[in-house]
Amino acid sequence: MADPLEAYRRLQEVARPAWEAVARPKRPLFRVAIATCTRAAGADETLSALRQELSRRGADADVLVVGCPGLCFADPVVDVHLPGLPRVLYGRVTADQVPRLLDAVLGEAKVLPDLALGVVLSEEERLEGYRGTPVEGLPDLAQSDWMRLQVRRLMANVGHIGAEEIDHYIARGGYEGLAKALAMSPEEVIKEVLDAGLWGRGGAAFPTGRKWDFLRQARGSPKYLICNADEGDPGAFVNRNLMEGDPHLLIEGMLIAAWATGASYGYIYIRDEYPLSVERMRRAVEQARERGLLGESILGSGLSCDLEVVRGAGSYVCGEETGLISSLEDVRGMPKIRPPYPAQSGVFARPTNVNNVESYANAPLILRHGAAWYASVGSERNKGTKMFSLSGQVRRVGVLEVPLGTPVRDVIMVAGGGPPEGRRLKGVQPGGPLSGVAPASRILADDGLPLEPEPFRDIGMLMGAGGLVVLDDSCCVVDLAVYFQWFAEDESCGRCTTCFAGTRRLLEILRRIAEGRGRPEDLELMRLLPDAMRNANCAHGQAAPTIILSLLDLFREELDEHLLNRRCPARACRGLVRYEVVAQDDALPRAADICPTRAIVKDDGAYRIDQGLCIRCHACKEVAPQAIAVLDAHTG
Amino acid sequence: MGLTSRHASRFTPVDFFADDTGVVARVQALLEDLEPDRAQMLEALHRIQHDLGYVPKEAIPFLASKFKTTPAMVYGVLTFYSEIRTEPPPRVEVQWCSGPACLLKGSRNIRLALEAELGCGMNESTADGALGLRLVQCDGTCHLAPLVRVGGRYIGPLTVAGAIELARRLKREARGG
Repeated sequence: MADPLEAYRRLQEVARPAWEAVARPKRPLFRVAIATCTRAAGADETLSALRQELSRRGADADVLVVGCPGLCFADPVVDVHLPGLPRVLYGRVTADQVPRLLDAVLGEAKVLPDLALGVVLSEEERLEGYRGTPVEGLPDLAQSDWMRLQVRRLMANVGHIGAEEIDHYIARGGYEGLAKALAMSPEEVIKEVLDAGLWGRGGAAFPTGRKWDFLRQARGSPKYLICNADEGDPGAFVNRNLMEGDPHLLIEGMLIAAWATGASYGYIYIRDEYPLSVERMRRAVEQARERGLLGESILGSGLSCDLEVVRGAGSYVCGEETGLISSLEDVRGMPKIRPPYPAQSGVFARPTNVNNVESYANAPLILRHGAAWYASVGSERNKGTKMFSLSGQVRRVGVLEVPLGTPVRDVIMVAGGGPPEGRRLKGVQPGGPLSGVAPASRILADDGLPLEPEPFRDIGMLMGAGGLVVLDDSCCVVDLAVYFQWFAEDESCGRCTTCFAGTRRLLEILRRIAEGRGRPEDLELMRLLPDAMRNANCAHGQAAPTIILSLLDLFREELDEHLLNRRCPARACRGLVRYEVVAQDDALPRAADICPTRAIVKDDGAYRIDQGLCIRCHACKEVAPQAIAVLDAHTG
Repeated sequence: MGLTSRHASRFTPVDFFADDTGVVARVQALLEDLEPDRAQMLEALHRIQHDLGYVPKEAIPFLASKFKTTPAMVYGVLTFYSEIRTEPPPRVEVQWCSGPACLLKGSRNIRLALEAELGCGMNESTADGALGLRLVQCDGTCHLAPLVRVGGRYIGPLTVAGAIELARRLKREARGG
């Protein structure tokens, strides 16, 4: 049998020239990030404006489509690499800014400081080495508040390589981990993954190597691999970033798993909300097939495996592994009762292993660099890095990758820049709607709430798969709990009464409290129902009441204020506030005009709000902030 | 017809050629290469929806036959997923993001205002089918929160007043067109 490493080296020789042209360009190279997030901010328009403008000017330049480097707060982003100078990343490059950008970078100035986010340096480069060049005076991006906590291993290629260029991936060492794995026995590969300390990144934190070993030892064939790319937690978008920015990392990870477990076919199940991820992954699968990296006898080894991308259709519980399996079986995506576990009887009743995108994506790094290298970052108990998406009431929204154990405080206050001007941090909601809310007091404690499973478990919640939604003091936790419970109720598959009825009862109770109709006995029910819901079949029903426990244990004062005093301190709960005209000023006619229910009426020359018509939508307050006040509904 | 699927015992052939809406012929062509027990039902639904805008009920017997299952099972699948439509979409749809980042930045106010201004509830359309509102899940474009999507374009960060003006403009355009 051919030596897989030899076969890999030949592949890399072929790939190298394509990457060389990008790594050391002979003419200006524009990297444009095209991803779901940048597109939303107008990156497609930027890209076509750039292409048009370059051809109009007859400029000798290249354009490369890359993934999102994670700085969503600065979208759309464009990275400009001029020969002889280091790369400069520009932010907020909307289509109308393209002519200005080109005037500067193709002209004498070479840089456009007001849009520049910073200089992107490779590992060998130092900013000091560019004294006296046009980039002098620009900040080093790696030293910026957003970047300096980060260790980018999974994201090492994202934003650097072409999002649809397999050669770039291979030339930068991609698929070397697979080649090394193929030169080892499956048992050795599993041992390496276990030694690295990798655990499942989807939320459950189960050791990945052990899971793989279950499938390796399982009897029956064919064996299947599934990649859970359903990333349904609202506010989580780390898997999307990876699939759109470096799709081959996932394919390589799945192939390593296939070798370790004996699986011969794999499904990558991507949520419906990520059409671009579906497109990029499908393209990457085709490219891998063309290079012989999928199919029969991969790299001349005994491994034969193929992959297929399946697009979901909008269901949160399909992110639960057995729900996902049901979905693949052409029936309602309802989670199944375990045992049997997927390793014994998974998709089509065959042995199956399900891992999250990030879990698979770590495998190539472990195999390429070794378990010791992998475990060189992280905390005492947890090794490696983890990607997080930061959103909500924070100044900088985006995707970052930090060593496990990094304090969430630093991620929010340093990378995220803290809550908006004039606001105070109230908490963070990690791990999706089934997790709870960690209060600011815990985040700002001495250890800063390290990002690893244990500290979150200690306060009764889950760190989850990567979402971090930041709350400031304008947010009402009861109002937020209504949303989470609505989500849990809406997405319940309907199998278990404990779940579908439990979430419905909890939602009723929370809505009642949010409307000032709470009853003292609600507190008891809010303890009782979560107890009953632990008997639900899957994690959806079991974890749905987590937010209720956060309310009772961590935000009790705020809950009591709603329940006992019928008052919402943040004035966010609609049933507990009223809008009133408190001063007659010039903005009121506009407020009357914007009101969608014509609730602002004029009596005897003075404006007032008809409380029967007012839906408390806040539009008038935006337009006439001095004249309109938001008051407690049940006082005064 | 080989009855090899899990639901073989419940499989009853349906005379789907009795359909006179033309839907079946069209759907048949779309799904030619798909097979049962290959995780392809969702792909089938996506293709039909892409082509027709929704999955019409006339397609159900055909899908059941194609995937060797029962019409009830197919109906179960297509009503399980929030992104599969069983009714034709409105001509212009305002998609309202229900995610937490949008919520924290005032999306509930925007929803109330849109419902009041457009005169239709969430996941409903105006009586003439010109405009509609639809709840969508977070797709992680939270840097634009609170946001809505109209015709594939993201609009955000949006104020409540901005949402009302948008709704008024869409109403004017619907009347004009």
